Amino acid sequence: MKEKKKFSFTPEKLWGIAIFVFFAWFIFAFLVFPNLNTVVSVFYQNGHFTTEVFTKLIHSTKAMRSLRNSLILAPTLSITVGFIGISLVLITEYFDIKGANILRLGYMTTLIYGGIILVSGYKFIYGKTGILTTLFAKIIPSFPIDWFEGYWAVLFVMTFACTSNHMIFLRNAMRSVDFQTVEAAQNMGASQFRILTKVVLPVLTPSLMAVTILTFITGLSATSAPLLVGGQDFQTITPMILTFANNVSSRPLAALLALFLGVATIILLTIMIQIEKRGHYMSVSKVKTTIVKQKIRNPILNVLAHVYAYLLFLIYVIPVALVVLFSFTDSATIASKHLTLSSFTLDNYISIFQKASSYKPFVVSIAYSAIAASFVAIIVLVACRILQKRKDRLGGALEYGLLIPWLLPTTLMALGLITTYNTPRVWMFNKVLTGTSVIMLIGYIIIKIPFTLRMTKAAFFSLDDSLEDAARNMGAKPFYTFMRVQLPIILPTVLAIFALNFNGLLGDYDMSVFMYHPLNKPLGVYIKSLTDSETNADNAALTFVYAVLMMIISAVVMYLVYGRGNKVDKSKD
Amino acid sequence: MIKLEHIEVTFGSFKALKDINIDIHEGEFFTFLGPSGCGKTTTLRTITGFISPSAGTVSVRGKDITHTPIEKRNIGMVFQSYALFPTMTVYENIAFGLQVQKMDKEEIRKKVVEMGKKVDLNEEQLKKKVSELSGGQQQRVAIARALVTNPEIICLDEPLSNLDAKLRVQLRNELKDLQKRFGITTVYVTHDQEEALTLSDRIAVFNKGVIEQIGRPDEIYSHSATEFVCNFIGDINRLTPEFLAGTGADKVEGVDPKKHCYIRLERMHVNETMATDTLKTEAVVEDYEFYGLYIKYTVRAFGQTIKVIEKNSGKTLYKKGDTVTLSYNPADIMQYEG
Repeated sequence: MKEKKKFSFTPEKLWGIAIFVFFAWFIFAFLVFPNLNTVVSVFYQNGHFTTEVFTKLIHSTKAMRSLRNSLILAPTLSITVGFIGISLVLITEYFDIKGANILRLGYMTTLIYGGIILVSGYKFIYGKTGILTTLFAKIIPSFPIDWFEGYWAVLFVMTFACTSNHMIFLRNAMRSVDFQTVEAAQNMGASQFRILTKVVLPVLTPSLMAVTILTFITGLSATSAPLLVGGQDFQTITPMILTFANNVSSRPLAALLALFLGVATIILLTIMIQIEKRGHYMSVSKVKTTIVKQKIRNPILNVLAHVYAYLLFLIYVIPVALVVLFSFTDSATIASKHLTLSSFTLDNYISIFQKASSYKPFVVSIAYSAIAASFVAIIVLVACRILQKRKDRLGGALEYGLLIPWLLPTTLMALGLITTYNTPRVWMFNKVLTGTSVIMLIGYIIIKIPFTLRMTKAAFFSLDDSLEDAARNMGAKPFYTFMRVQLPIILPTVLAIFALNFNGLLGDYDMSVFMYHPLNKPLGVYIKSLTDSETNADNAALTFVYAVLMMIISAVVMYLVYGRGNKVDKSKD
Repeated sequence: MIKLEHIEVTFGSFKALKDINIDIHEGEFFTFLGPSGCGKTTTLRTITGFISPSAGTVSVRGKDITHTPIEKRNIGMVFQSYALFPTMTVYENIAFGLQVQKMDKEEIRKKVVEMGKKVDLNEEQLKKKVSELSGGQQQRVAIARALVTNPEIICLDEPLSNLDAKLRVQLRNELKDLQKRFGITTVYVTHDQEEALTLSDRIAVFNKGVIEQIGRPDEIYSHSATEFVCNFIGDINRLTPEFLAGTGADKVEGVDPKKHCYIRLERMHVNETMATDTLKTEAVVEDYEFYGLYIKYTVRAFGQTIKVIEKNSGKTLYKKGDTVTLSYNPADIMQYEG
C-alpha cells in the first residue's frame, strides 16, 4: 500500500502553483473575458437585455451592404482561388509543362509577398495612376482610370493573393499520389482526362476541401484588399467593423459584426475539423512511386496549357518585379512610370535608414514582432510541458483555452481587447490598456499562440518518452532534464516557429489597425497610410523599399525554416 | 540480491501484475520472458522505480526500496530504443549521470574515457554524435552510460528488439561478454525465447501478469512447468490420444492419454532410431523444409500430423509419399492437466 504523504510546499510545487495561476489569469483575461464581453456588449446595454443593436444593424445601409459584400466575396473567392490553386498544382506537379521550376518560383511569390504589401503592389500596376492603367489610358483616352476598383478588383487581387495554402498543402497532397494508381488506370485504357478526374483529383479532395474553407474564412474577413481597392461601393465586414469601432457609440454594431464573423468562422472550422477527422486517402500500395509528369497528348491543349501557365506566372511575378525594380528608381520615375538608365538610384534605400520617420515603423514592427514571438515561444513551451505531463481535465482545459484564438477571427479578438480594457479591471491591476503600447503586444501574442501550440506540441509529443526516463534514471531533476535533454531536441522546431511568427507579425495590419499606439505606428499601418495617398511618389518609393526589405526577411525566414531543413533531410537519405 | 515479494501493479481496474515473487542472485543474468502485455516490462520498471506497486515490496540486499526515488536506487537502465540523447556527443551521453552527480570535470573525463575503453569505444568515437554510430556502437554507449555511475544492478528492456536478425545475434554475444566482464547483476526483458535461452542464467516466464515458471534455460525448455511455457518455448507437437494409442504410448507407465501430451520436434526421429526410442510406428512423409543445418519433416501417422527435426547428415531426403519409421522415447512426453 502507498503511504499517505504529508503535503508540503516544495519549491517545485510553488513553481507549479505560480504557473497554474499565470495560465488561469492569462486565459481568462485575454482569451475568454474580452470575447464574452463582446457578446455581452451586444445583448446587454445599461444592464438590460436588448436586441436594439440587431435593429440598428438591419437599418444600417452601410453595415448591411458590408455583410452582403462579404457574403458575395467569400463564396466567389473560394471558387476562383480553388480554380487557380488547382491549376497551379497541376502545372507544377502533374503536367509536363516546360520551365515548371521557374513557374513554381513565380507562383510561390505569395509566400514572401502578401498582405498589405501585395495589395499595394497590385494597386501600383492597376490603380488609378498604375502602370497598366496609364498605358491603357494613353492608348484609349476614354479608358476609365478607376477601372480597378470595387468587387472585381478585390476578387482579382485576393484570388492571386490566397493561393499560398494551395501551393503548400495541395501540392503536398499531389506529391503523395501513388503514381502506380495512374499507371494502373492507363493500363486499363483510361484517357488523360478520366485519370485526372477519377483517379488523381479525388485523392486531393480532403486537402482541397480544407483549403477551400480556409479561403472562405479569409474572404469573409477580408481587410486589406477591400480597404485599398474596394472603393466606396465594396467595403466588407472587417473594414466596416474598423469604421464602427472608431466611434464609441457605434461600437456595439462593430461587436455584432465581429460576432457574426466569429460564429461563421467557428461553424466553418468545425466543418473543416470534421473533414480532417474523416482523414485523407491513404495509399494502400506496398511500394509507392512518385508522380511522373504527364505530357498533354493533344498538341493544341498542350500549347494552351503552356500559354495559361505563363500568363499566370506573369500575373504573379509582374507586381513583385515592378516593386523591386521601382524601389531602385527616383520619385520622378515612379510618378511618370517612364524608366531610363538614369532613373536608377539607391537613394530610397539610403533615405530609409537615415530618416527616423522612415525607419521608425520598421524598428517598431521588428521590436513588437520579436518580443511577441519570444513571449509566445516561452508561454507555449511551458504549456506544452504541462500538456505532456497532465493528460487530465486541467490539461485539456489549458489546451482548449489557448486554442481559442484559432476559432475566432482576429477582428473579434482585437475588438474584444480594446473594448474590455478601455476601463480599469481588477485582474489587470486596475490599469487601462486600450491606447497604450502594451495592448498591441498582447494582441500579437494571443493570435500566434494556437499555431505555435499545435506545432510545438507535435514536436514535444514526438519525443521518445524513454529519453526522460533515462535522464531520471541517472538522477536528473525535471527542470534539468527539460533544459538539457528535451529542449535541445525540439529547439530547431521552436526556432522555426519563432521565425515564422516573427515574419507573420512584421507586416501585420489586421490586428495592428485596431490596437496600435499613434506614436508607435507599426509597418502594416504605416504602409496603408502611405498607399492611401496614391499620387505621392515619395510615399510609393518608401512602400516599395519596405516591400523589398520585407520580402528579403521573409525569403531568409522561409529558407531557414524550409529550405535548409529540406537540405538536411535530404542529406540524411 | 533483488527480491520481489507479492508484487501487484494495477492500472485503473486492470491488474497488470499479480503476486509476483522473484529472488535474483548476485551477478546473475536473469531474464523476464513472455509475450506482449504479459507484465515483464512492468516488473522491470517496478524494480527501477518508474512504476510504484500497489502491493508488495522490492528489496535490494535486504533493503526495502519500494518507495525509494528512481535516482536513489543505484540501478542502471538500458532502454529498448537506447534513449541516447541525440543532441549530445557520445562523451556527453556517458557523462550525463556523472554531471548530474556534480562530479569534478577531470574525474568525469577520466571515468568516461575508462568506461569507453571497457566497451571498446575509443576517444575519437567519444567525440562523435550518437547518430553517427552503428547499431552495435549505440548499444555499447547505452550500456556504458548505464554502467558509468557504478550501479549495483543493470536492467535492460528489450535492447535488441529493433535490430535485424544478424545484428541481433552479434550484439547478443557482445552483451553476454560485457556482462561477464563486469560481473554485474543483470535483469533482462525480452519476448524472444532464443535470446532468453542463450543469454540467461535463469529465466522467469510471464503470462497475463503472473509468473508461470522460473528456472534455468534447459529446465524451462525440457521440463516446462505449465502448458503455456511448453507451448511458448520452442516448437512442439501435441499428441492426440489416437496417436498415443497407435504407438502404444498409452500403455507406458506414467503416460496418461487423458492429459494434454506434448513432445519436442527434435525428440522424434525419422528412419534413425535412437537407443532410448522404445516406441516406433510407420508414417508417411507429407512435406519437408530444408534449412541447411537441419531438415524439418511433416509426417502423418494415425490421422495426426507430426513435425520432426532431423540434423542434416547428408543422407538422402525423404520425399512426399515416402514411408518412414517414426520413433521416440515416451519419457520425453510432457503432460499437463487439460
